[in-house]
Amino acid sequence: MIVGVILLALMVLSFLFSVSIYNLLIAMRQNVKNGWSQIDVQLKRRHDLIPNLVETAKGYMAHEKQTLENVIKARQQAVDASGLKDKQQAENFLSSTLRSLFAVVENYPNLKADQHMLKLQEELTTTENKIAFARQYYNDEVARFNTAVQTFPNNLIAGLFNFVKADFFEIQNPAEKEAPQVKF
Amino acid sequence: MPYSFTQIEKDKGRVISLVFLSLILFYFLTAFILYISCKNLLLAQYSLKHFDHAYHWGWISFREAVVLFAAALVCGLGHWIFTVNNLVEKILGLLKAERLSPEDKYHVMFKNIIDEVSVATGGKNIEGVVIPTTAMNAFAIADFSGRNIIGVTEGLLARLSRAQIEAVVGHEAAHIVSGDCLSTTVTTSIFELYKSALKGMRDFFSQTSSSNNRSGGIIPVMLVAYAILSIASFMGQLLRMFVSRQRELRADAVAVRLTRDPLSLAEALRSVSSRWRGAGLAGENLEAIFIVNPRFDQLDEREGVVANIFSTHPPVSKRLNVLLDMAHSDVAALEQRLRSQQGHPRTLAPESFTHSLSAPVNANEKSWIANKDGQWQGPYSLLDLTNLGWMQADTWVKKIGSQHIEQAFDNMEIRDSFWKKSDQTTFQCPKCHVGLSAERYEGTCVYRCYVCGGAFVKENNINRIVIRSEYDFSSRIKELARQLSVEARKKLPAIDLKNASLYSCPQCQHPKTKMLRVFYTLAYPVIVDKCSFCGFLWLDKDELEILQCMIEEANQGDAKFI
Repeated sequence: MIVGVILLALMVLSFLFSVSIYNLLIAMRQNVKNGWSQIDVQLKRRHDLIPNLVETAKGYMAHEKQTLENVIKARQQAVDASGLKDKQQAENFLSSTLRSLFAVVENYPNLKADQHMLKLQEELTTTENKIAFARQYYNDEVARFNTAVQTFPNNLIAGLFNFVKADFFEIQNPAEKEAPQVKF
Repeated sequence: MPYSFTQIEKDKGRVISLVFLSLILFYFLTAFILYISCKNLLLAQYSLKHFDHAYHWGWISFREAVVLFAAALVCGLGHWIFTVNNLVEKILGLLKAERLSPEDKYHVMFKNIIDEVSVATGGKNIEGVVIPTTAMNAFAIADFSGRNIIGVTEGLLARLSRAQIEAVVGHEAAHIVSGDCLSTTVTTSIFELYKSALKGMRDFFSQTSSSNNRSGGIIPVMLVAYAILSIASFMGQLLRMFVSRQRELRADAVAVRLTRDPLSLAEALRSVSSRWRGAGLAGENLEAIFIVNPRFDQLDEREGVVANIFSTHPPVSKRLNVLLDMAHSDVAALEQRLRSQQGHPRTLAPESFTHSLSAPVNANEKSWIANKDGQWQGPYSLLDLTNLGWMQADTWVKKIGSQHIEQAFDNMEIRDSFWKKSDQTTFQCPKCHVGLSAERYEGTCVYRCYVCGGAFVKENNINRIVIRSEYDFSSRIKELARQLSVEARKKLPAIDLKNASLYSCPQCQHPKTKMLRVFYTLAYPVIVDKCSFCGFLWLDKDELEILQCMIEEANQGDAKFI
């Protein structure tokens, strides 16, 4: 009799415990999704800005057709990409073409002083920053979620309800990869 | 976003209830003291009149205590609801904060930075405002309706780099995400919100009483105001106990997690703390909402029990050290970086406007003569003409070799080179009666006359322009500014109102009411024409630059602190 009551209590307890773990995992997965949608919004914003940028630049730099075409091409690739890995690659490529475009813009003082261009540049800067922050948020959430999914006893529940590890969103940025300067 | 250590702050919702309880207690004690003294005064009077009644100290019964408590509850609740209702708007009104204008370059950048940081927090809804002052500070407030506001001063926007502003906004956003912003806002505003109003009232009464002698009725009012003021300031001081100074250190740490840039935050803190932070401005006593205390307070720089209890901000040096540790840097390196940033290259302010004109091919051909006071002068090129200074729309001009004499405005060639056809506005120059052109200057909008070089500027845009320093000035402007400030120190220049023809405002275009001719301020006595209806200002040629240059020179001493 007593053994039965204890067993029942244990079962109820473990059930409640699993429910709380399940809810926690769901909440975390929701955060990951939320983080991803933030990145998506900002990437789209960048794709929308680029045609404007190219239009404005065209008027000033007739000799840089190749650079501008590269940007347009890279943008199209990024728009068409689906799936996280593809997107990652396309966005990296787009970033590198944009960087070479801005390197060229330095040679055109008239373009640099153009009011429309200045506005676009500010818009692009803020969008790039937002992408970086959205990525930071997403990756933080993914790290938290992945840790939660893999640790005991959460992994039992995760295995049962098919919670799989999420992928990080990585962007190669030469400035970021640099190791911090250490001084003693 | 999970911040294990700021979870502590979330539990501090109880701070708000503690503040509420102490408010009730305050009213109860006040009511108690008032009641006891009144009662005993009456009892004493009664026993003086009726000798058979010996005077006994009257205590209060339980029933009276309940009534007193109920009264205190009603007062406290009223006070609470009145304060908390629409709190954000009240504080913004007190600080004279302005909404961000979408045309202003700096404001657009600030708005973008807020949005960026908001993305880093996972999409928190944050609004931005600015305070139009040269002081440097930043604040965050929130209220029960769920509005979150981050504000910075124009001085901070103008002087810090983008990364530094981002770090400051990160710090303020950290207060908002960790939830201590709400409790701090409520705690500081319970009494301090009214202190400035009371102070203003007291000043008003003391002014009026000194200016006229019938001050009989005013003295009691002043006394009451003074009494309430001192009680409020004492209570405000007490409530500071509920604002932990560790909160700022935590916000610094969370800011680093958000923006990943401890060095910029350290730089920003160092710059802000070494300049004028807004002491003396309205709202300086709401110190707890600011990133550094607007007043320099000895207590803030000290450690120890008393400082921990009553101070709202930890020592700046301590905050710097923590941040620099995170960035693997030290104070010496930081100061060197700041010094190297100081002399950032500035372009010369556009003095002649010819560069922006679509100059005709023969602009440099000296083929024009112009009539000044009956004398023909020249020859001038078209470019020269635009720079003469005394050219008006009705000046007589003649092309060399032709017999035809005409007024400047009638000649197509001159007209084209003077008045840009594009982005011309409906405003007309009050002197020359030609269209003013909208122009970007120091990140904001001014309307220029391309004939006389005068500028028509909105008053808050002037405030922004004088704070910002994208442009440097020519030696001529600097000399003019220096002369004016030297002369002004001896004697204010006179405004000749008798013979002057006053202008009518280009915006309001009221036929009878002219613009007022006044000094910009007594400290910077540049003569401006101000429309008392729309608040636009008209400045003659060079005056805007002179004004800017004077204010900048005056602020030089301030900047040397770094």
